[in-house]
Amino acid sequence: MADFLTAHAPTLTHWLVLTSALFSIGLYGMLTRRNAVGVLMSLELCLNAAAVNFVLFNRYLAPTAQGGAERLDGAVMTIFVIAVAAAEVVVGMAIFVAMYAERRTVDVTRLDALKD
Amino acid sequence: MLASAIPTLVFYLLAAISLTLAWSVVTGRRILRAAVSLMGVLAASAGLYLLLDSPFLAGVQVLVYVGGIVVLLVFAVMLTRTTELLEDHPTRGRQIIGGAVATGFFLLSYNMMTADAFVGRTLSPLPKNDVAAIGRALLDTGENGYALPFEVVSLLLLAAMIGGIVIARKPAAAAKPEAFHG
Repeated sequence: MADFLTAHAPTLTHWLVLTSALFSIGLYGMLTRRNAVGVLMSLELCLNAAAVNFVLFNRYLAPTAQGGAERLDGAVMTIFVIAVAAAEVVVGMAIFVAMYAERRTVDVTRLDALKD
Repeated sequence: MLASAIPTLVFYLLAAISLTLAWSVVTGRRILRAAVSLMGVLAASAGLYLLLDSPFLAGVQVLVYVGGIVVLLVFAVMLTRTTELLEDHPTRGRQIIGGAVATGFFLLSYNMMTADAFVGRTLSPLPKNDVAAIGRALLDTGENGYALPFEVVSLLLLAAMIGGIVIARKPAAAAKPEAFHG
């Protein structure tokens, strides 16, 4: 068991498959959810997968590109992604609450005020 | 031997947990249950950060995402509760379009992931005290510093806060628009 696990340690490709699978699931949710809050949740899945990817590329790829100097740009970008996600949820929630007060629904298929 | 076997086991466990919960986030009928699943996905991602030797990011993830964003989303669910959306069924057509786009994206990126540049890479060592290094990078005004983006993000958070209050608060009584029951 231990031998098998050691021989199958995750490589960069395994990590990338995991994060892009998470991103794809989020994409699916964004296109199928009817509740606007559900769309926002699916978007969070995508943002989270991208944030993990930044750390991955930092740990696996960037340092050699910098000529051996150890850098943490990926970690810094992840912090920015988390901060932007927080700001986006605040504005999104405010819009949904205002929308609900106005129209009594958050169904994205029925929000067509900009259509005509 | 065992020391290298455990991270592998943890990786596959966390991968299985986060994929299962992510699926229930996007397909769960009850939106509140989807929010709880999202919390699980984000907590599993904190575990992934730990596996990548980034305990500081794991802490930020738990504090901001699990502690802040999910709570906000739960509030959003409860403040906008409608009976028609209690059971969130997508139509067959939307399922097909969504599935096609998501599968297409996955296959496209899988094609790129198996490129030579990504094969055979190993984990690089981190600077000794990476929290201090992150802090210095955030406040460095030099060539590779992030002082300007850092200030821009603080401005963005301020703007989001003010914007959130302005949008969500009740309009003044005189300017109150007719409620539209659509």
